[in-house]
Amino acid sequence: MTDSRAKALGGLLARQGILVAFVLFMVGFALWNPRFIGIDNVFGVIRSSAILGVMALGVTFVVIGGNLDLSVGSMMSFSAIVVLDLHENPAFGPALAIPAMFAMTMALGALIGFLVGYLKLNSLIVTLGMLSAIHGLTLAYSGGQNMDIANQQATWFGVFGRGTVAGVPIPVLMFGGLALILAVILAKTPFGRKVYAVGGNGTAATFSGIPRARVVFMTYLISSFCVATAGLIQASRTMGAQNTVGQGMELEVLAAVILGGASLLGGSGTVFKTVIGVLILGFIQNGLLLAGLQFYAQFVVTWVIIILAVWLDIAAKRGRLWSPIA
Amino acid sequence: MTKLNTAMLAATTALAGMAFAGAATAQDTWRIGITQNNVGVDSYQTTYESAFIAAAEANPNVEVVVLDAGGDVARQIAQVQDLIQQEVDAIIIWPTNGQAVIPAVREAFQSDIPVIVTNSNIAEDGFPFVASFSGPDNITQGRRAAEIMCTRFEDLGIQDEAQIVQITGQPGYTTAIERAQGFEERLPEVCPNVTLVESQPGNWNREDAQRVMEAFLVQYDNIDGVYSGDDNMGVGALNAALAAGRAEGITFVGATNFAVGYDAMGRGEYWGSIYQSPVDDAEAALQTALDVLNGEDVPFLNYFDTPKITQENMDQYDRPVF
Repeated sequence: MTDSRAKALGGLLARQGILVAFVLFMVGFALWNPRFIGIDNVFGVIRSSAILGVMALGVTFVVIGGNLDLSVGSMMSFSAIVVLDLHENPAFGPALAIPAMFAMTMALGALIGFLVGYLKLNSLIVTLGMLSAIHGLTLAYSGGQNMDIANQQATWFGVFGRGTVAGVPIPVLMFGGLALILAVILAKTPFGRKVYAVGGNGTAATFSGIPRARVVFMTYLISSFCVATAGLIQASRTMGAQNTVGQGMELEVLAAVILGGASLLGGSGTVFKTVIGVLILGFIQNGLLLAGLQFYAQFVVTWVIIILAVWLDIAAKRGRLWSPIA
Repeated sequence: MTKLNTAMLAATTALAGMAFAGAATAQDTWRIGITQNNVGVDSYQTTYESAFIAAAEANPNVEVVVLDAGGDVARQIAQVQDLIQQEVDAIIIWPTNGQAVIPAVREAFQSDIPVIVTNSNIAEDGFPFVASFSGPDNITQGRRAAEIMCTRFEDLGIQDEAQIVQITGQPGYTTAIERAQGFEERLPEVCPNVTLVESQPGNWNREDAQRVMEAFLVQYDNIDGVYSGDDNMGVGALNAALAAGRAEGITFVGATNFAVGYDAMGRGEYWGSIYQSPVDDAEAALQTALDVLNGEDVPFLNYFDTPKITQENMDQYDRPVF
């Protein structure tokens, strides 16, 4: 009886090692500083993480499909700048600026999807190239100027970044809602299974009659949709943006997705685990700030915590702390 | 690119003209090359470039070769070497990196071309090769910000108990380090009883500053003042405080007055900043180069003035264009 229970617990640990690491880490920080788990702080962190998180949801699809997306940081700068500029344009206004920005951002996603999916170009090269190409596009569009909403009181645009519903910040609701929808799509629909199949073994998938090119194309379209949503939250939260606002985020996004347990080789990972990965990164950043740690030390400690989390995850999977063989 | 080509063409034509005119009149027109850090990455640098070109065009005795390193150290070094090859009379450099450009600056020095560093200085090892530095004095900016903060606290009568936090620029960036240093030195001199409870970097990024300020608001129940390394981050901190409903009691002081900061001051939400104009910066750089070329006595550190701006005197200043 106890034996089977222990086994069940062991099985749970093996499947959700990263979740266990997350819980341990939260308890540790909460003991250090009780304000860490105050409701305001928790919502604050999830709200800040929402931008990174929404992007990570889309990249999860791309990574499970066996590809990479390094262009999401530049693309987010692009969407934030575009939506702010169109918002200030009297011909558009907020109601038209948002769909127009989504269309432009998703056109970029479609271009990448076409290059990687249909032309079968290497995704690392394509998206690395797009990283600087989109940055250039953003600079050309804005002429290098910061974009700001001049009259912030007169617009409802702030609702996406600053609003709340029943005390819950809207970015948190958007992150949660999108995570739920994408989790269902990935886990419960034929399309989701095709993404796993294409990422797991592209050749086998093709021979099984799965339209590999279209599936890859769709993953990039989903990714760009998520980026546009992130850009919207970002622009609305700060009511202004620099051209470099998303710079470097592509690696943080990738770190969150991989930390959550998706394989860089494709074919494995879940939306839920990516969310955990995002929250770990967000709460580490916040926890170290609240601990009042010197900034330079924060870099090192962040790295140590990530390594510990990954180690715990691996150790739980193989049932021992270290192993001479993989 | 067109602009660059035109400038180069103008410069080459001028050179050809000078060759025909002979040595006697050659000194009438100075050819000055500039390699900038990263035009287009922010509004300050974009405005700087257009102001520099405008100032050069207004002066009939100056021909300029305007280059941009795009934030790339290697490209900037190559640009300095190009300018040496073109035998310009002086080189103005906005360093992409204070250390890595020194060899190129030395090369120019050895070719007897005076180098003027603009906006952010290079590392001290390079000083022997530099004719003059023209730019803002970031330590003084930090010190003035401390004075603005302290004077405000005295007006509010809280100079003996106020608690403040600081949001600094990019770690390792000279401007960020010097502003923080000036602020931290001056504050205890003018307001010895004000406590600086914590400093964290906002990386010149509004979103980062907003996140840091949110954590500060959770951590500290009493925050009376926030000093930010520039107004862009200061407005991020202000946004966080507004969202938490705590902006009312906080004095926000920044540096490099941005348009958003100016507007927030107009609304009475943001208290003060340091007025630093990219137009002054560009014009000072060109003037310094001309003074050096004309053999005038130029101080090695040639600062242009960056005055205090607060809600009380902001009507004397134009709204910044960036």
